[in-house]
Amino acid sequence: MDAAGASDPSRQVRVRFVTKLPPPLRAPLTSIAVPAGLTRMGLSEIVNSLLLAASPGHQAQPFDFLVDGELVRLPLQEFLLAKGISAERVLELEYVKAVAPRKQEDPCPHDDWVSAVDGSNPSFVLTGCYDGLARIWRDAAECTHVLEGHSDGITSARFINKGETEDRLHVVTASKDRSLRLFRFDTSVTIPKHIGAYKILRGHASSVQSIAVDPSTDMICSGSWDSSIKLWSVEGCEEDGDAVSVKKRRTNSDSSGPEESQFEGSATSTFLGHTQCVSSVAWPEQQTIYSASWDHSVRQWDVQTGKESWNMVCGKALNCLDCGGESSSLISAGGSDPVLRVWDPRKPGTLAPIFQFSSHKSWISACKWHPSSWFHLVSSSFDGKVMLWDLRTAWPLASVEAHKDKVLCVDWWKGDSVISGGADSKLCIASGIEIV
Amino acid sequence: MGHSDGDHDSDLSADDSPWSEGSWSDDDEGSLSFEGSGEGSDAESDEPDAAAAEESDSSEDEVAPRNTVGDVPLEWYKNEEHIGYDITGSKIKKRDREGRIEAYLRNADDAKNWRKIYDEYNDEEVQITKEEAKIISRLLKGKTPHTNVDPYPDYVDWFEYDGKGHPLSSTPEPKRRFVPSKWEQKKVVKLVRAIRKGWIKFDKPKEEPNFYLLWGDETDTADNKRQGLSYIPAPKPNLPGHEESYNPSVEYIPTQEEIDSYQLMYEEDRPKFIPRRFDCLRSVPAYEKALREGFDRCLDLYLCPRTRKKRINIDPESLKPKLPSKKDLRPYPRMCYLQFKGHNGPVKSLSVEATGQWIASGSSDGSIRVWEVETGRCIKVWNVGGIVHRIVWNPSPDRHILAAVVDHDLLLLNAEVGDEEVQMKTKGLLQIEELALEEDTGDKKPAVKWVKHERFDGIMLIHHKAVSTVEWHFKGDYFTTVVPSGDSRAVLLHQVSKKHSHHPFRKLPGLPIAAVFHPSQKMFFVATKKFVQVYDLQKAQLVKKLESGVREISSISIHPGGDNVIVGSKDGKLCWFDTDLSTRPYKTLKTHSKDITNVTFHRKYPLFASASEDCTAYVFHGMVYSDLNQNPLIVPLEILRGHLSSDGRGVLDCKFHPRQPWLFTAGADCVIRLYCD
Repeated sequence: MDAAGASDPSRQVRVRFVTKLPPPLRAPLTSIAVPAGLTRMGLSEIVNSLLLAASPGHQAQPFDFLVDGELVRLPLQEFLLAKGISAERVLELEYVKAVAPRKQEDPCPHDDWVSAVDGSNPSFVLTGCYDGLARIWRDAAECTHVLEGHSDGITSARFINKGETEDRLHVVTASKDRSLRLFRFDTSVTIPKHIGAYKILRGHASSVQSIAVDPSTDMICSGSWDSSIKLWSVEGCEEDGDAVSVKKRRTNSDSSGPEESQFEGSATSTFLGHTQCVSSVAWPEQQTIYSASWDHSVRQWDVQTGKESWNMVCGKALNCLDCGGESSSLISAGGSDPVLRVWDPRKPGTLAPIFQFSSHKSWISACKWHPSSWFHLVSSSFDGKVMLWDLRTAWPLASVEAHKDKVLCVDWWKGDSVISGGADSKLCIASGIEIV
Repeated sequence: MGHSDGDHDSDLSADDSPWSEGSWSDDDEGSLSFEGSGEGSDAESDEPDAAAAEESDSSEDEVAPRNTVGDVPLEWYKNEEHIGYDITGSKIKKRDREGRIEAYLRNADDAKNWRKIYDEYNDEEVQITKEEAKIISRLLKGKTPHTNVDPYPDYVDWFEYDGKGHPLSSTPEPKRRFVPSKWEQKKVVKLVRAIRKGWIKFDKPKEEPNFYLLWGDETDTADNKRQGLSYIPAPKPNLPGHEESYNPSVEYIPTQEEIDSYQLMYEEDRPKFIPRRFDCLRSVPAYEKALREGFDRCLDLYLCPRTRKKRINIDPESLKPKLPSKKDLRPYPRMCYLQFKGHNGPVKSLSVEATGQWIASGSSDGSIRVWEVETGRCIKVWNVGGIVHRIVWNPSPDRHILAAVVDHDLLLLNAEVGDEEVQMKTKGLLQIEELALEEDTGDKKPAVKWVKHERFDGIMLIHHKAVSTVEWHFKGDYFTTVVPSGDSRAVLLHQVSKKHSHHPFRKLPGLPIAAVFHPSQKMFFVATKKFVQVYDLQKAQLVKKLESGVREISSISIHPGGDNVIVGSKDGKLCWFDTDLSTRPYKTLKTHSKDITNVTFHRKYPLFASASEDCTAYVFHGMVYSDLNQNPLIVPLEILRGHLSSDGRGVLDCKFHPRQPWLFTAGADCVIRLYCD
């Protein structure tokens, strides 16, 4: 290597580049001596030139390097010193494609703050807005449907992806007007654009902050400012919902007027236990719901019994929570301080977070695990940044600074993009994030 | 013993009678005296005693003394007819006195006359017998009264001396020889104790070798230490080294170059002594500096005061009061993470809703805004068209009424947040009949008029003078307004549900600044310029008067427990009153360089804060213990900066979040900041 030859030969490390990437990106396994002062970029250059030597048509691209399951973020020499790894033996450097957004798509403009976003459908993006409307964006570019009905800002919106045909979408939204609304529409038909809810779920005494759909998509749970968590049935009560709706509609007709051809549903059960606003709920498995609250606690609920099965106090008011990681058993949560924390509820005896990521400058408004990777997280903060995290390093992988104001919501989309909505009334899409 | 009358001897008159009357010879022994025979009386006394004892059986019964007057001076009876009384109590008549001649004649005739004695006591003449006369004459001669008594018999020794080694006492052995001595025992006990305690030592202490450090520093010896300050030995002069020898080794001798180089050195740095070599001790000259150095040394010793300096080694850190570390007092607001921007003028006041979901703020730009705490979004704006001096959210969670001081009057607004039920209820409370204001027309201009505010669907309380501040009762039905220039109607109480106002406090000692309700009891605090008056609302009387000692009070806040009050002043001082303790401040914290604009307690956490015109807000830990013996603990925690000065004004208001350890501050720079833990 000409690069290695230039530097001091005494400060060289013998490395071997290995990878799990497919063959065109696989470098020869021979060990080579590289300067110890190389950083990630230098190593990346070496790998790229190795690959170029193997196949002349190779496009240079950034790589990230792993030593013993730890991402190299310092110059190689310092990294080895810090980790206490001997420089004598041949170092095995595993390289993966660097995780960073490569492209910033055009933002989708909204009329008001974008407070909810869902990217669980690969062809559509669902956004909730403070003007009370939820919007469906095809390919995150064109607004095909507007879901209306809420009288106050939407706080959370979710696809209820039934196993049926993909062109029928099923959506639930929660709002500060204390209700949840269910929408169902055909995506192949773009007319009418404005769609009303077919069902309204009422029962919360204060604004609904967060909703989660269970894995079998039969139930919805919602957390609210009235410090309760309520479970709602999506389909089941439609028959008896009729009966209810007649009564409800009558009483309702005095106050909220023209809502017709709508069913009303009421909560199937209520989980009480939190003492303050339930700011976020997650439903990773059929039987467990996690909730985060402003009373500084994260609680695990058993759906069958409605009892709290695990409880952890973290000392900060929490704004967001998500479950993911290895067998989706890790909990990440952020709140009224700039630290994103990850807990492992399986770890006995301790409530200390196993990871803490503290590069943000303000409150964390949302965090999401990557749908397929165990290691990757995205978080958004009121400081206007969206950050990508890898559990294997304490530094952020990348920071998206597309927003001009607070970022209120963030989600992964299609596994390689990050969509985020903020107080600058834009939905920003950072794409080209290759997570293998 | 028979007495013969007739003979009488005047010489042996009364004194002789014991001899004749054996029965009372014993009694009269002391007064017995014979002329001329003093020493014989002892020896002879045995005989008549024995005789009397013998004869008493017979003679005493026969002849009892006639007179019974006893041993009284007989002259008492000298001029009487009688000499005394006999045993039956009848007087004994004196005998007729014979004439002297008759007596002489009778005596001359009577040969026995010399044996007669006159008994004055019994007034009779007694004649002694010849035997008795003989005894008397023997006694007079100093012999034993009876002839058959041998005063000097031969000594018969009952003990045999033959064969005995030494003389022995004839007395029998006393008892004390056979019982153990008590005093000896006591002495032994004393000794035993002394031995046990080590006062008495049997083995002589070992002679310690009397070595001492000849050249050692005497100041450090144990002797000196024990004596304390008394003696401080002079420092020893340096001992001579090799170079001072008369014949030192060559290496000590400086070369000529070195000696020359000394000349270039400063006087003080030059070596005092330059070694020289001499062949023998004889050739060593006298030391030329001896006198000089001796004198210097003496001068040093004399002039240098050798006192032992008593230095107290106190760690200055230990003098600081023990405060708990800030880490243990978490959580408390530290960092500003959220800003609420939108006002166009200084934000004069803010208030947090009871659950902490929204805040309301009033500004000089004539607007009231309601913000969502969670995101910092402004959700409502009312342009009331006047400077909003103060805004207070109703503390009850089911009535979202905002009370705002707009310009001179008070405006009650429906905040229009929360669910329909609460909104309906609030709306209902803010309905007012037009009649209500008509009936209030009294003697002069009424203190308050309740008027419907058409534009915002609220109620306007038009006061007679400018209102400065407003505060709610914790139950949310009553509120109070302060009209500083209102004289007797300066502090007013209003009830929302009845739309009624009254002014219970006629007299106030000075301009009222603020008035607040007790957080749980029926008490009322009115802060005037220098004092805080505590009233009992039920009894309508003054309970306490707290003296702040500051120039001018600007704000007041009551601890949720109700026993502690903090007061902020215009000279930047914050006073903490423990009303149970004293009417004077328990602590006065001089923290701010400019006026304190507001002070506030947290409702759940032991925190309090003060906001000031110097663009800072201070957060303190203020722990109040339920134990009455423990004083409140006050620890300054954090200085919150971030607000910018505008027109010389800084932070205008501060309020804690009701549930989180967060502090909202309203600044003159049009921004509301939220400081989180």
